[in-house]
Amino acid sequence: MSVAKRQTVPEYSSGTTAEYGYGPTDWLGGWRSLFYGCAILIAINVFLELWNYAFMFSAGLDSASEAFTLHYRTLFWGELLSVGAFTGLWYGWLVRTGREIRDREQGKVEPREEFRRMAVFWCIIGITSLSLYIEASFWPNWDGAWHQTMVRDTALTPTHIPMFYFWFPLSAVLVLGNYLYGRFRLPRVYAKEKGFPWSFTLLLGASIFECFQVAMNEWGHSLWIAEEFFATPFHWPFVWYGWLAGGMFALWGETIIAMYGIEKDIEEAEQASQTAPTAATELRG
Amino acid sequence: MAAAAPVSLAEQRRAELGRLLRKKYKYLDRTWDAVFWITAIFIVGAAADITKLLFAGDWDFWTDWKDPEWWPMVTAFAVVIIPSALQYIQWTAWRFPTGATYTSVCLFACTWIGRYFQWHVAEYYPLNFIWPISTVGAGIFMDWILLKTGSYIITSLVGAPIFGITVWAFNYIPLAPFLQPVQFMNHIVTVADVQGIAYIRSQTPEYLRHIERGTLRSFLGEAQYVSLAFGSTLAIAGYWVGQFIGRYLSVWPIGKYIKNY
Repeated sequence: MSVAKRQTVPEYSSGTTAEYGYGPTDWLGGWRSLFYGCAILIAINVFLELWNYAFMFSAGLDSASEAFTLHYRTLFWGELLSVGAFTGLWYGWLVRTGREIRDREQGKVEPREEFRRMAVFWCIIGITSLSLYIEASFWPNWDGAWHQTMVRDTALTPTHIPMFYFWFPLSAVLVLGNYLYGRFRLPRVYAKEKGFPWSFTLLLGASIFECFQVAMNEWGHSLWIAEEFFATPFHWPFVWYGWLAGGMFALWGETIIAMYGIEKDIEEAEQASQTAPTAATELRG
Repeated sequence: MAAAAPVSLAEQRRAELGRLLRKKYKYLDRTWDAVFWITAIFIVGAAADITKLLFAGDWDFWTDWKDPEWWPMVTAFAVVIIPSALQYIQWTAWRFPTGATYTSVCLFACTWIGRYFQWHVAEYYPLNFIWPISTVGAGIFMDWILLKTGSYIITSLVGAPIFGITVWAFNYIPLAPFLQPVQFMNHIVTVADVQGIAYIRSQTPEYLRHIERGTLRSFLGEAQYVSLAFGSTLAIAGYWVGQFIGRYLSVWPIGKYIKNY
C-alpha cells in the first residue's frame, strides 16, 4: 500500500509500526524490514566483493604470506565473530521479547498486529532467500572461476572465506531466527504445542547438512583433488541445500492458509457485531 | 412464460470462483503477491543455478567444453529439475503454466550476474568465452505443453525431452561461430579450442576435461544426435526429480508438524 494511506491515529500501540502511522501491509509499515534487511545484506556483499577485487590477487594466492594473514585470516575471523555476535544479539532479543509477548497475549493476537507480524515473517523469508542466492549462486560462480584458474594451497581461499564462513552460517542463522520469530509471535501457525514444523525441519536440515558437506568438500579436495572439477561427485551433495530450500515454499503456503483464517475470523467478528444490536433490540421489544 | 435456462455446474463453479477472486479482504492485498513473486526469484534462481553448477557447471562455464557428446546430455538433466519443481508448485497453487519459464528467467539473471561480475570483471575472462546458456525458450515450450495437456506425466514424457533438445538447439546458435575450424600451430582446431588454449586455466588441466571422450566419436557426425537422444531421456528422469522436490519438499510439508522431538 502507498504512503498516502498513512493514518493519523494508530489503531494499535505497542512498539509496532502502527505507532508511526503505517498499516501492517504498507511498504513503510510491515514490509519495511524487507528493505532494511536486503539493503544490509547487499552492502555486506558489496564490501566482500570489493575486498576480493582489491586483495585476492595481491594477497590471496600464498597462504603462508603475511599479506594473506593480514587480509584473509583476519577477514575469516572477523566474519565468524560478526555472525556469532549478530546471532547472540538477535536470538537473545527474539527469545526475550518473544516470551514477554507470548505470556502477555496468551495466544490471542489482535488481527491487525497478527498481519503485521506475518508481514515481518515474510520479510525474514525474503531476506533469507536473498542470502541463499548469494551463497548458492553468486559466490559459487566466483568459486568456480577462482579455483579452476588459481592453484590453491589452503582450505581458506579468498572465495571460500566469504562463502563458507559468512554466507553459509548466516543463512542458517536467518532460518532459525525466522522460526524463533514465528514460535513466539505467530502462535496460530508455530506455537510450541503444535510441534516442530516440517517446513523448518527441511530448511534447518539443509543448513546442518551443508556444514557436513563443507567439511567433506575440504577433506575431499585435500585428499583426492586439489584442482577444480565442478561436477565432481563429491560436490553433488551441495545441491541438497538448494533442493531442501524448497521448504521455503511450505513457509509461504502455511502462512497464507493461516492468513485466510485470520480474515475469516475478522469477517465473523464483524458479522457478529452487526447482528448483536439487532438481537438486543428484539430482546428489549 | 418461458422457464429460466438451467445454470450448468461449470457456470456455477465459474461464478463462485469469480466471487472469490473479487472478494475484498481487510489485510490480504496485492503487496503479498508482489513480495512473494519478487523474493522467490532469489531462492528459485539459486536452487536452479546450484543444480546446474554442480551437475553440469563445467560444460556451461567455457565455450570449449560445449562439446557434442557430454554437454547436451548433462545439461538436459541438470537444467530441467528446478523448472519441473516450479511447474508443480505454480500449477498446483494457481493453475499458472509458468513454472519453467519463471525458473528459466530467474536462472538466466542469476547466471549472468555471476558470469559478469565474477568471471569477467574479477577474473578477466572475455564474455564470449564464458557465456552461460539460456533455458528461457525451452521453458516456454515445456510450460505450453503443461498448459495444453494439464498432465505431469505427458509433460514429463513429451515436454521434458523437448526441453532438453530445445536447450541445445537454442544455445547451439550462439555456439556455432565458435565451432568454426581454424589452423593453429599446424593443427586444425576450433575457435573455441583456441580460446581454451589462450586463456590459461591452471586448475582445469587436460586430464580433467570431460569432453569428447570414449568411443562415441567413432560415430562421426551422429555423435551429436546420439547424445541428444540420451540427454532427452535423461531429462525425463530429471523432470521427476524436480517433481519430487516440488511435491515432497515444497508442498507436502505445508501445515505438517513433528509432534515428538
